[in-house]
Parts: sequence; structure tokens; C-alpha cells
Amino acid sequence: MPRHNKTARNDAEILQGTLDLLILKVAALQPIHGYGIVQRLQQISNEALQIRQGSLYPALYRLENQGWLKAEWKTTDGGREAKYYRLTKAGRQQLEAETAGWKRLCDAISLVLETGE
Amino acid sequence: MKWSAWFNRRRWEGRMDTEFQFHLDSQISDYVRKGLSQEEAELRARREFGPPELAKDECRDQRPVEWLDHFLRDLRYACRSLRRSPGFAAAAIITLALGIGANTAIFSVVYAVLLKPLPYSEPEQIYSVEVVIPERRSQFASLPVTVQAYLEWRKANTAFAAMSALSRWECSLTGDGEPELLGGARVSTNFFSFLGVPIERGRGFSIEEEQPGNERVVVISDALWRRRYGANPALIGRAINVNGESHIVVGIAPPSLLVPTGTLLHPLIAFAPQIDLWKPIAVTQRELKNESWDHGLLVRLRPGGNREQGRHQLQAILNALVRAQVPDIKTELIPELVPIREIYAGKVRLRLLLVLGASGLLLLIACTNIANLFLARVASRAGEFATRIALGAGRARILSQTLTETSVLAILGGTLGAVIAQYGTGLLAAHGPDDVRLLADTQLNLPVFLFATTVSLVTGIICGVFPAWQTYRKDASRSLHEGARTAFRGSRTVRFCQILVGVEMALGTALLASAGLLLHSFVRVMRVDRGYQIERVLAVDLSLFGQRYSTGESRVEFYRELPGNVRALPGVLAAGAISDLPASSGSSGASRTIFFATDTNFQSLVLARPVAMIRSVTAGYFAASGSALRAGRFFTDHEDVPVSLISESLANRLWPRETPAAAVGRTIRQGDVTGPLIAVAGVVEDVRPGGADRELPPVIYRPHDQWASGPMTLVVRTSQEPAALGPAVRSEIRKLDPNLPIPAIRTMREIVSASVAQRRFQMVLTSLFAFVALLLGAVGIYGVVSYSVACRTREIGLQIALGAMRIDVMRWVFSHGVQPVLIGLLVGLGGAIAIARALRSLLFEITPTDPVTLGSVLLVLLLTSALACYLPARRAARLDPMAALRHE
Repeated sequence: MPRHNKTARNDAEILQGTLDLLILKVAALQPIHGYGIVQRLQQISNEALQIRQGSLYPALYRLENQGWLKAEWKTTDGGREAKYYRLTKAGRQQLEAETAGWKRLCDAISLVLETGE
Repeated sequence: MKWSAWFNRRRWEGRMDTEFQFHLDSQISDYVRKGLSQEEAELRARREFGPPELAKDECRDQRPVEWLDHFLRDLRYACRSLRRSPGFAAAAIITLALGIGANTAIFSVVYAVLLKPLPYSEPEQIYSVEVVIPERRSQFASLPVTVQAYLEWRKANTAFAAMSALSRWECSLTGDGEPELLGGARVSTNFFSFLGVPIERGRGFSIEEEQPGNERVVVISDALWRRRYGANPALIGRAINVNGESHIVVGIAPPSLLVPTGTLLHPLIAFAPQIDLWKPIAVTQRELKNESWDHGLLVRLRPGGNREQGRHQLQAILNALVRAQVPDIKTELIPELVPIREIYAGKVRLRLLLVLGASGLLLLIACTNIANLFLARVASRAGEFATRIALGAGRARILSQTLTETSVLAILGGTLGAVIAQYGTGLLAAHGPDDVRLLADTQLNLPVFLFATTVSLVTGIICGVFPAWQTYRKDASRSLHEGARTAFRGSRTVRFCQILVGVEMALGTALLASAGLLLHSFVRVMRVDRGYQIERVLAVDLSLFGQRYSTGESRVEFYRELPGNVRALPGVLAAGAISDLPASSGSSGASRTIFFATDTNFQSLVLARPVAMIRSVTAGYFAASGSALRAGRFFTDHEDVPVSLISESLANRLWPRETPAAAVGRTIRQGDVTGPLIAVAGVVEDVRPGGADRELPPVIYRPHDQWASGPMTLVVRTSQEPAALGPAVRSEIRKLDPNLPIPAIRTMREIVSASVAQRRFQMVLTSLFAFVALLLGAVGIYGVVSYSVACRTREIGLQIALGAMRIDVMRWVFSHGVQPVLIGLLVGLGGAIAIARALRSLLFEITPTDPVTLGSVLLVLLLTSALACYLPARRAARLDPMAALRHE
């Protein structure tokens, strides 16, 4: 069930909002556990994106509560229990919305920066 | 899902740990695989992960059940803060509990007695018939019906679907154990089907059983069946011995059967307080010849029938019947239809509504008090709120905390209130006067409980949460600077609290004054000269039956012998018997028109002459009862010619403007102009019947051997504690007749006390409410005055430092506290007088503006409020000026 979307965030939370977007994007490919998400983010961004790994989990839990991610416990190839996150339908819509929003923001910022030159 | 998540909190934590551990382990093994040493890998993985406890905390914040945690935190906080101010908490909880409890209990009873449908089929169609003789109205507001009228109505009317008559029946039950004197009723054979109450065991009566000779059948009560016959189903069809004659038990009435008892049906028909046997009315030829107004009659209107049309029809039939017997009579009898609800509730309605009103006022006072307490509390915490707001607490958090605190109080108060209500309802149902007890069940009325709880709760929320919200709207930093006192003390809050105290005092005064008037009336009723002694007198009801007493002489002999034997007992001063004890609430003996010796025309005079109650007495009765002789003499053991003693009021009606002495020696006739001449031997003082608040009835006393009656009451006057003589009196009766049932021997004080049960019930309850109101009012004054003193501590300290005398400080505090009280008193007094006017019928020998009562009420209120002001005033006067100036 899609929850109320709290898009109005203050400055300090922009990073967090970005993290949410990245998590959703990574989880959209396939069910994945927390460590996998960190690996994938570093891999895709060529180690450019460094996050405090511990702060990933509160974000995951929040997204799960908002109904955008669904978690399942599965056994890994190594035979250990791990929690896999999967994007829900609502999550997919949210991903699209946030991606669009992000793009608009980037365009706007670029426009400002270019005009300023 | 959310709840299970909370309850599985430990599991949840465990899973979070597993997840984190998996992350670290994976990272470590990845680093190891890349060539780092185990130690280095661990160090690096931990550094990159960051402090795990921080992450855990942040995760916990995301848990879906966070609000529950908040709630629990608020709950803990509320409990802690309430524990810190136990005075406030106790006052609020007790106020809530009393308001909720008292109202729920009273309303539960009021609902059961006044509102709940009676347990009959279509009870709203059932009426009781009474007859009004306009010429007799001053003496009898109405009369029951005669058996002739009942039979004629039943035959000729078309407006009513059914009719059912009932009359009293004294039952002495013998065999199968101790002889017992029980209450019974003769009823029409259709009685049970008329009410729509099916007999579950056995059957009701059949129409054939109203033929004389077939009527020796009884239906007995469920209570009697269980108590005396051990609920034996084989009793049906068996014979039992009632009044020395064998009767077949045909059915057992259901336990829930409700029938009119006592004088509920009509003041002139006194049934027993409990009816255990019913027998068909089988009208004999002899009964048809005698006209006696002693039957109750219930009628059931046809569906859709018109009450007024039915009444008209009854009137036409009745007056045709009267004209057929007494052709020239110049009166028109008026039958009246009284809804059956009135029978049960009519006499208690005003009293119950009064008590309900009192408890409603109490609820209002309770709410006012709660408002007061909460306002003062919020004001005193304004500083605390301001601090917390400055520290970043959100409005929602402040509100939810205040709300939680209010809810905690409401739940505690409500729970205590439910206990009080449950206990109180039972108490009321068990100890109320008979007519309340009959209908009241001990069921707590849940909707009312919820209503009272909601009212108090809403009051609490409005008074607790609203000001807290207001605090928040103010500029937090300013409040913080100015301190609690100016931000909220605001003379506005004090002023508002004072207004509340004024309202509380007004309500309390009204309640206290009403209670005072009822209390004073009660004292007067108990003190009034009743025309008989109350102290050191015993009474026991006796009912002779069976072959042994088939002749009048044998009965006369019994009542001559018994008082003689009892008088011989040590400690007995006098003993005698009377047919209707004036103190018992239902006096229903026969009554007759009294004619002068010279009267000859019955038809023209019957409505012009007074009607007197006839009481049959033995020679020793007056010595035992202590009634005073005004003129003439009492009876002797052997009167040769027909004689009588008349009451003062009868003498007055017969010979107005003459002294009682003038009546002595004159002759009268009783019942008819052709009856024997009866000499007036003397005039005795009037006696007050039952509850003492009814009019003095004219009475004619006849010697027992000249006017034999059915049941008699033996009255014994003793020189010592009367109850101690009970067993001796009992054994004297046993000696004379071992088969005679002997009911409880009661002292006259007990009988009188029972006869004022209604008055006491309502007086005690109203006084109780008034007392509680007084207490709450005192708490309210104390709270407000203490609060205003606390707010002005610095100011007072400054004044003392500048040389103000302590007495000045006290005077200032007093004037502050007493001002709203005085205004409240005046308003309340006006209200009390208005209430008392509406309740005039409940007052006895005092006016609604009785100065003694109102004066004492004022005094009590002033003293109480002075005391409530004195304590904080003294505290203010003893302030150390230096400490006060440094205050906050």
C-alpha cells in the first residue's frame, strides 16, 4: 500500500532522499541483501559513492515500512541466512516518480549553473 | 502485523543483529579474499560500517510500532508526574469517581423504575380503574371499585379487551412445617393471561373456577415453592392447607412475576409487601348484597382503542348501576383510568427525579471541579511546558502527553466510578423503599456509565488539553522568560477559576439547601406527635383461622384472653389489640358513613355525612398504644350497649364548633340510617397514619366484641427494652393456639421507621450528595486560593518585606477566596428556594424558605469555605519574605 509520500525534505535530508532513490534503483534489478546493495552501489559508481554502510539499514527499514520494498529471508549460495529486499509495485511507481523528480532537479540545477556562467 | 511486530520485539532485534552480522561477515571475508589479514579486514569492515549501535537505534526508530512506544513513554511520564502531585491526582480521581459512580447508580435505578417497559405484554394498554365521588373528594381522592361494578363492567363494556380484578387475601399456611402468615390475593381467573405472563409450571385458573365451590385452587409464588416445598414439581396437583381449608396447587408463578403489592394499586387496598398465593375471585350471593369498595381493577384497552371513550363507557355503565340501586342519588361517579406505570412509579417519580437531579448537580459540580483542578494544574506547569517547547518538543507531543495524563486520570476515576456505581446500584435496589425495590434490578446501566464517563472525560480534556495547546501557541521563549506566573497565571486563569468556584458554590448551595429542607422535614416527621407511643411498644400481626374460630364468640374470647395473659408477663405495662395498626403504612380497614341519630333519608344524606374508618379494638388497646383521651371514657371489658370512641377529627366533622366533651353521650349510626344507635363513649386524639404526612383520617373505634374484624394486631407496652419480651409474648400466643402463624414481632419504632422508608431513602441520598458537593466545593476553593497564593508568592513577600502586617495578608487572601463564594451562595440560595417550591409536596410542616434550614446551610457553607481559605491564607501570612522574593 503506498504511504503518504514525504517529498518535502529539508537540506540535511537531501542526501538521504538520494540514498532512497539509489536503493530503489538497485533493488529494482533483482532481490538483493543489504551488503549486496552496498557492493553494487560502489561497483556501479566506480567507488565514487561512499556511504556509511550502517546508515543503509535505517533507510532499508523505512522503505520497507513505506511498502516500497518487501523483505524475505533466504539462504545465500554460501549457506547463510540473509535478508533479501525486493521492489514492490508501489516501490516501482515511487522509483519512477523519484527518478523523474531527480532528473527535473538536475536539469534545473544545470540550467542555473550554465546560466550563471 | 504491527502488533505482532511489537510483541515479537526480541525476535525482531535478533533478526536485525543477524542481518548486520551477515553484512560484516560478508565484508570481512571479501577483504580477506582480496588479501587483507583477518585483523585488518575486521577493522576496516567495522570502520566502514560505522557504529552499529547508532545504526540499530536509527533502525528501531523506523519500527512501525513507534507510536505505541511513544504512548508507553507518555504513560510512564504521566504516572510519574501524577505521583509527584498526589493531591491533584487524588482530588481528580475521587471527583471523577463520585460524579460517574453516583450518576450511573442513580440513573440505573431511575431507568429500571421509571423507563424500562414493565414485564407484561403491551403494558401501555393496561390501566387501573379508580372511582371518584366528587362529593367525597376532600376525604378520598378516589376509591377502589366494588365487585358489583366490576361484574357489570365486564358484562357490558365493549371498549376493553379484558378486565381483571384483585383483592387482598390473608393466608395462614399450615401443614408441611411451621405455620406461616403470608400475603395473598384473590384475582379474576384470567389474571395471568391478562398480564400476558404465562405460567410455566402447571396452569393458571380456568373460567369455571370463578363459580363458588370451585375456587379452592391456588397458584403459588416461585419463592414460596422453593422455600417451603424445596422446588418439588410434584406439588402441582397436591392439596395445601390455607386458612384451615385445603386448596389444590394448580401452578407455580414465574419468578419474574411483578404484581402490585402494599398500597401500590390503591391507598385503600393494602396488599402484603409480598404476594405468595393467588386464588380465584368467586363472588358469593352474600358478597353481592354487600357493597364494599375494596377491589382493584386492571383493564386492557383494545388495540387502537381510545382511553377517553373507554372511560366514558365505564362511567355510563357505573352510573346506570348506581341509579338502579339508589334511584334518586344526586351524584355522578367518575371512573378514572390510571396507566399501570403510574401504579408502580407514580409515588416514587418525584422522589427519584429529585435524587436524579441531585446526582446530576453533583456531576456538574464534579465537572466544574475537574475543570478547576486542571486549569490550575496547567497554569502551574506553564513554565515546564515552556521549557520543553524551547527544547524542541512538538505541539503533538505536548498535546499527546497532556492527553495521556488526562486519560490516565479518567481511566482510574472511571474504574473507581464503575465500582461505586455497581455497589451503589445494588445498595439502592436492596435498601430502597418497597416500590423502588420491586422494580429496581441490580443491573448497571452501561450507556449511562459511558455517558457520565464521557462527560467527565471531555471536561478534563477541554480543561487540560486546551490550555496546554494555548501555551504552545504563545511565544515559547517569552513564556520562558516571564516565568510560569505571568504567562499563564494571568489574572485570566485566576478569574476563570474563581467563576468556576462561584458556579460550584451555587450548585452546592442549591443541593445543600434542598437536602437541608428534606432533613428538617424528616426530623419533623419523626418528632411529630402521632397520637400513639413509639418507644417501648411491641406489635405483632395475628390472623385467626379455621374451625376453632368459626364463631364470633371464639374470636372475641381469644382476644380477651391473649392480652390478659400477656399483661401478666413481668415487664409488660399494658396489652391490647386493634384491627388496623395506625403505624403500618397501608391502613385499609372498612370505612362507613356516619349518620346522626335523627337522620332518616339515606339517599339524600349519604354524601353529606362524613365517612370514618372503623377500627375494632380490645379494652386494653388505648392503654397499650398510649393515645390520649380528650373526653369521656375508654372501653371496658364488657360493654352492654353499642358504644364507640370517635377521633377528634370525626367529632369536629360531626359537631363543628363544639368541644369534644359535648360529643360524649350522644348517639350516632354507622353505615345506614336504619342501623342500631351507637353511643359515643369518648373522644380520643387523632392518630397519624403510616408515614405521618397524610391527612388525619376520621376514625370510629368499636369494641372488638361489637364489631369483629379479620386480622388484628396485638400491641404490648413494656417497661423495659421491648425486643427482649418478644419470645415471652410468642410463647403466650403458642400456649393459646399452637397452630397460629406468628410473624416477626416488631417494635413500634421499627414499624414507624419502615413507614417513613421512602422519605428516609430520599433524604439520605440527597444529604449524601449534598455532603459530597460540599466536600468538592471545599476542595475547589482550597485549590483556587492556594493557586492564587502560589502565583503571587513574590508579590506577597514584597508586601511583607515592605511592612504589611500578616493580618493584612490574610485579609487579602480571604477576600480573594470568599468573594466568589458569597456570590455563589446568593445565586444558589435562590435556586434552592425555587427547587423547594417545586418539591413542596415532599416537605413536612416547613415552608420552602424555612429560615432555620437555610440559615444553617449558609452557616455550614460559610464555615467550610472559610476553612478552605484559611489554610492557604495562613501559609501566605507565614511566608518568609526573603525566601518569597527569591521564589523562582
